Amino acid sequence: MNGEIVQNLKLLSPELVLVFFLVVLFTVDSIWEQTRKNFVPLALVFAACLLGTIATCWVSKLAPTVFFSGLVANDSFSAFFRYVFLFSCAAGTYLAFGSKELEKQNRMEFSLLIVCVTFGMCLMAISTHLLMLYIGIETVSILSFVMAGFKSEDLRASEASFKYFIFGAFASALMLYGFSLIYGLTGSLQYGEIAQYVQANLGNMPYLLPLSLILVYSGLAYKISAFPMHFWTPDVYEGSPTPVASFFSVGPKAAGFAAILRFFLDILSYDAASGSWKAIGGEQLVSVVAIISAITMTVGNLSAIGQNSVKRMLAYSSIAHVGYMLMGILTLDTFGLGAILFYIIAYCAMNFGAFWVVSIVADLKGSDRLDAFRGLGWSMPVLGVTMVIFLASLAGIPMFSGFIGKMLIFGAIVKTPGLLWLAVLGVLNSVVSLYYYAKILRELWLEGREPGNPSELSIYHGVALVGLAIPTVVLGLWFAPVIHFVERSIATIL
Amino acid sequence: MLSWMIFSPLIGMAAILAMPRNRPDIVRWAAVITTAVPLALGVMVFSQFDRSTAAMQFVEQVSWIAPFNIEYYVGIDGLSVPMVLLTVLLSFICIFASWNIENGVKGYFAMFLLLESAMLGVFCALDFFLFFVFWEVMLLPMYFLIGIWGGANKVYAATKFFLYTLAGSVLMLLVMLGMYFTTEPHTFSLLQLANLHPFSTMTMDLFGWQLPMDKVFFVGLFIGFAIKVPIWPFHTWLPWAHVEAPTAVSVILAGVLLKMGTYGILRISYPILPSATLWAADAMAILGVISILYGAFCAMAQKDLKKLVAYSSVSHMGYVILGMASLTTAGVNGAVLQMFNHGTSTAMLFLLVGVIYDRAHHRWIVKPDGSRGFGGIAPVVPVYTGVMAIAVFASLGLPGLSGFISEALVFLGAFSVPRFQMYVIIGSLGIVLGAAYLLWMFMRVFLGPLNEEWSGLTDMNWRERFTLIPLTILVVVLGVYPMPVLKLMGTTVAKLLTSLT
Repeated sequence: MNGEIVQNLKLLSPELVLVFFLVVLFTVDSIWEQTRKNFVPLALVFAACLLGTIATCWVSKLAPTVFFSGLVANDSFSAFFRYVFLFSCAAGTYLAFGSKELEKQNRMEFSLLIVCVTFGMCLMAISTHLLMLYIGIETVSILSFVMAGFKSEDLRASEASFKYFIFGAFASALMLYGFSLIYGLTGSLQYGEIAQYVQANLGNMPYLLPLSLILVYSGLAYKISAFPMHFWTPDVYEGSPTPVASFFSVGPKAAGFAAILRFFLDILSYDAASGSWKAIGGEQLVSVVAIISAITMTVGNLSAIGQNSVKRMLAYSSIAHVGYMLMGILTLDTFGLGAILFYIIAYCAMNFGAFWVVSIVADLKGSDRLDAFRGLGWSMPVLGVTMVIFLASLAGIPMFSGFIGKMLIFGAIVKTPGLLWLAVLGVLNSVVSLYYYAKILRELWLEGREPGNPSELSIYHGVALVGLAIPTVVLGLWFAPVIHFVERSIATIL
Repeated sequence: MLSWMIFSPLIGMAAILAMPRNRPDIVRWAAVITTAVPLALGVMVFSQFDRSTAAMQFVEQVSWIAPFNIEYYVGIDGLSVPMVLLTVLLSFICIFASWNIENGVKGYFAMFLLLESAMLGVFCALDFFLFFVFWEVMLLPMYFLIGIWGGANKVYAATKFFLYTLAGSVLMLLVMLGMYFTTEPHTFSLLQLANLHPFSTMTMDLFGWQLPMDKVFFVGLFIGFAIKVPIWPFHTWLPWAHVEAPTAVSVILAGVLLKMGTYGILRISYPILPSATLWAADAMAILGVISILYGAFCAMAQKDLKKLVAYSSVSHMGYVILGMASLTTAGVNGAVLQMFNHGTSTAMLFLLVGVIYDRAHHRWIVKPDGSRGFGGIAPVVPVYTGVMAIAVFASLGLPGLSGFISEALVFLGAFSVPRFQMYVIIGSLGIVLGAAYLLWMFMRVFLGPLNEEWSGLTDMNWRERFTLIPLTILVVVLGVYPMPVLKLMGTTVAKLLTSLT
């Protein structure tokens, strides 16, 4: 038994690396006070992410297993999401250290929080047991509340944090209720055992099961901010510091998708032959997911149109993107799910980039409203051009990764019979989204030059913007290797 | 060779972006050299193109994204060659027409060259995915060219253009994906899709209705292309974009971009969806006639010279649609020739409007307060008036100038289809209306007593003459002897029509 634990511990090495660095951060913090203001924590977080990536690379080569009595799984799917989380952790910290919003805060504390959230997100992606999943989700949630309110002297941030907390508690309660129903029905919280139950009762599924699945979905929908649990998103993103908001819009969202994909795919005991949702609740469940995705993207896009605060606009746009991604689940095959993973990669770069620009502008002008962007393209060309790339990519214009993501998702829908309406709605939504993205472009470039002194973009930020723009362009033109990568990643859970 | 042609403007763009900001003249001459390369290659294509075959020529085919069978696949046939020639010629001319851009010179020419690349790519692409990418790449440079260097309402015009065009192309995206997934093996190759065209027997499900797949695809593509042409009722972006854009961009918009819509229908919809094409021909003819008349009436009501030219484009592209819909040799040949001829004559008109706008800083035929905008300026600017007269007469279809032959062919083709005869009779009113609004404009601006306010107007300078001379020569030569263009496309059109019936 002991031997097995030690043996399997190495499969958790990415998480162990994060825990190790948490301890290091704590120790350094307590013995060397200057680190609260300098860049040492950044270096430590980078080291953690780098080592974590190496560890992930190493464990992803091992044979996929479910271990620790069915609590967690190590496979290429876990590896994929660990990469995403480690990347968003590193990028989020880098942004936070360059932002004036968090200048006065304790940087060591911030680094501790973000590493710990990353640890929680990894748990969410690898867990194959509802309790384990719950621990992961709560680790992420509770620390996220703290991060949202990190500017403790700012009332808006505290309000954001409080809203986030109330909503989170509500969502957790719903989800826990769903867990308890599932336990009552199946006698287990382990995905594999739930799946066995589902398979054994294929013909006569009790109606309680779909209900409990919807409850579980609600809890996870809160994490990815999908309808009907999306209401917190704009308020929290607007209130929390911009670097934190950008991290929220990428990391925890990807974690939510990881949990949803693994849970639903595992327990639906995917039947490769029929490839349908028939296992539970019949065809209606497809319609439910289709409708949820339709409402999510439409609500997100339509609400974004009227926004004057760019941060809020991007918050709504992030809801819309969740709607697009949810469409990929409908097909339940490698193509559609691979499309989601591809979209997550593309979204990581372009959304981080867009938030990054907002953060720079907010630092410069003290406002994230549309008119703060006026003429900035002319005075800061690198910022202007990269923002064009990010927004065009978010809108799904070819040559950029966002287009490929959308194309794969719509492709998955188009080849599924009966979902033509959703595909048409989806593309019309991307036209709507272009309208509000174009508003930002207009302010950046079309409204004449910025009055007053030209401002310089620091190299610190320039490197990041270019670094995020390059993958956005490259993935739009050459994505064959990434397709192989995501299909390999998804293959293990199908 | 085609790749060199498509991507040489991109190389020039990169070079221009690397140049210092305070030396606009170097940037301009770099743009001249960069557009001269595709022009020279275009001349080579023209001389080497084998007119006796309908097969694709100058083909280049490389695997691009293997998992999806996407290829970098370019080649040209008789349909693309006239469009490619038009593009390289107009782009070269437009660089000179943009000489007086002072603000953000680097950005302007960089965007312009990117646009040229994308346009050439669209006309050469034989892979649907590649076609779509080039098609959409045009969006961003066009948005910025109109939105930054445009007129008073540039932001509104640019946004409207942006949204309309994207709305059209997302439908195209869905059709593209639909075609890809319903063919076995999955392919984006336009030629392969045209060979297989399996869609006429398939259906697709929309809320329980079984819709015939080829017709759904045709309608989706048609809306996408119709927005670009633009065919009534999808034309409302056009007057805004044309009027607000700087002169050279209006020339490119009217001269090249509008043709992409009709080119797309001929390149993609016709060969891949033949049965749906036959089904939709009547509707297309009706829309064509409506566009002819509606555009002409709108043009007649305009007080702004540029808006008049913009609406005349709607009218003239209506002829193209009518000729295409006839599905006869004369009609389709006439349509493609009209695409080319409208490109040259409307480019002349926009350049000429730009010339007078640069001097007078307005372009009212009748000012909003009712007074004459110009009037009787013919003796003051004789060269300008002469060139304008040629452009106007070419545009209204005077025999001996280019517009006549293509419009005559269109009507000839359409009239030979018995059920289209009524449309032709109504559509031919467009010729009368065209003569009316153009001559009326000419009369009010150039003839009559001289408006003393403009007695000091200077005639065209050498740069402006240089931009207009090649087009004038083309208009006159093709009016007398259109065979150089007709010969280019004859074989391809014939093959296209046999594949339809």
